[in-house]
Amino acid sequence: RRHGGKSACWRREVTFSTMTPPPSSEPGGLATFNIHHAFPEALVRGMRSSFLKDSDYHHLSQCETLDDVRLNLSETDYAEPLADMPTLMPSSLQKVAVDKLVVEFQYLRSQAVEPLATFLDLITYEYMIENVMLLLKGSLSGRDINDLMAQCHPLGMFKDSVMRSIPTFESTPRGYADLYQTVLVDTPVGPYFAQFLQESSMNGGSSRNVLEEVEIEIIKSSLIKFWIEDFTAYVHKLGGETAALMGELLAVRADTNAINITLNSFGTPLNEPAMRVSDRKRLYPAVGFLYPAGTSMLADVADEDELGRVLDLFPQYGAIWNIHAAGTGEKGIDDAFYERDVQMNELAFEGQMQFAVFYAYVKLKEQEIRNLVWISECILQAQKDEINKFVPIFSQHAPWRQTKRR
Amino acid sequence: MSSSNTCTSEFCNAGWSEVLTHMSPYGFANFGVAFALGLSVVGAAWGIWLTGSSLVGASVKAPRIRSKNLISVIFCEATAIYGVIMAIILTNKVKAPDENTYYLDEDWDWSGYYYAGYGMFSAGLSVGLTNIASGISVGIAGSSCALADAQDASLFVKILIVEIFASALGIFGIIVGIIQSNACTFPIAALN
Repeated sequence: RRHGGKSACWRREVTFSTMTPPPSSEPGGLATFNIHHAFPEALVRGMRSSFLKDSDYHHLSQCETLDDVRLNLSETDYAEPLADMPTLMPSSLQKVAVDKLVVEFQYLRSQAVEPLATFLDLITYEYMIENVMLLLKGSLSGRDINDLMAQCHPLGMFKDSVMRSIPTFESTPRGYADLYQTVLVDTPVGPYFAQFLQESSMNGGSSRNVLEEVEIEIIKSSLIKFWIEDFTAYVHKLGGETAALMGELLAVRADTNAINITLNSFGTPLNEPAMRVSDRKRLYPAVGFLYPAGTSMLADVADEDELGRVLDLFPQYGAIWNIHAAGTGEKGIDDAFYERDVQMNELAFEGQMQFAVFYAYVKLKEQEIRNLVWISECILQAQKDEINKFVPIFSQHAPWRQTKRR
Repeated sequence: MSSSNTCTSEFCNAGWSEVLTHMSPYGFANFGVAFALGLSVVGAAWGIWLTGSSLVGASVKAPRIRSKNLISVIFCEATAIYGVIMAIILTNKVKAPDENTYYLDEDWDWSGYYYAGYGMFSAGLSVGLTNIASGISVGIAGSSCALADAQDASLFVKILIVEIFASALGIFGIIVGIIQSNACTFPIAALN
């Protein structure tokens, strides 16, 4: 167990400019945390008992129709949100479940004071970035603004006027600069966009010859990278138990992003040798266990074999990569990442008087929503043999707990 | 520091020993009362807000824990009661002399006089400081107890045992404090 808040994974100084202002106070140790944060923490721990249990998942996977699913869900915490829904479809189930999560999150946010308030806001910035990119991408394919707004994640909503004006900008470097100056500069994701513009202008953005779709992905990956770095710098300043736990969670998040960026770039223009160092390397976050040695190796990776060789040097990712490399179709690399994330987020609940429980709760609830959508899709499409591929949460029968018993 | 600068008047202290003995034992004793009460209440209050804030939040989703977990608050309150007991005992021992004279008599019980002052001061510190530690300890354990009870009702009694051990620290303080202050009696008349 590493000592206090200092840990090997961020012993290197986080020196890039931080966009979120440093916290005005510490969360407090064992004897002082409860002054400001006991109530929200106790709330989120109460919400922990609302996760679906093994018996619930068992009943759900035995259902034949979506009405049975609805009947079984009416005995869980989802009873009230589902009450006034006439028929259940996977998309409407997802919407209802996400709205429930948003209501709970907003309850927590309204009871939070600094520095917990900024911490919770930082969790929502990720969804704001997703919404901005959704609107930008949607404008490229010419979709209706109202459809796009309906698809936006509720946790990351801006003002209506702001969101409606985003698709009106053109997707050129000039257009992005205009977008930032007029619209995004007042939003919380403004600083991340400013850093992106600065970085792309430093690298001669206008001379790049990329397809528009790749451009959008690059923008999104860059914004998420800046968000992870900003969040990590903030929790590092909070110190104590929060820095230790959230540092780990964000480090594996950064590494997951780096591996996914590399994996998804194979077969796209981003994987060309000229682009690898200039563009792909810029997308790797400057935090995480893979930084800096691993990411500099990843920057030169050309195909999956080389990627596997690089990841073998890191034991925690070697195991996940082997699941992907085995390629039997039973489990993909995304499933392996989800399992690892659920395991770590469950462990975040083990410590009291720190902020990581809030982040872990949001992520575990998202996984539960993914599980519900997966189960209902399997039932809808009558593919019952695939139905058990969800990841149970807070379950004694989780895959990582099974292997230890041997 | 030459000896010519040292004050030789009878009103000056001739050294540190005189500084201490020139402080009235009544002052020491009453400070002991203040520490016993004040520090105990600090510890109790700290423990109560530590556990009460978690209890309030945890009972939002699990209302059944409300009444049982007030035991944690009662344990914290007990540390304040120890402080009050000690303060009352000590205050009852502080007695003014029978005769209202300017100087005390030649054959006053000086050793008993000073013994009473120092003894009550340290008894007050014993109780006060142990109750701060005990109060905080019970508070943190009580906070975890409320959160655990909200998840699994069988955990309540087990974590309560942790709190019992934590509140035993306050009992140690008051036991030692009573033993210390037992022999302390302020003389009220000259010996003879």
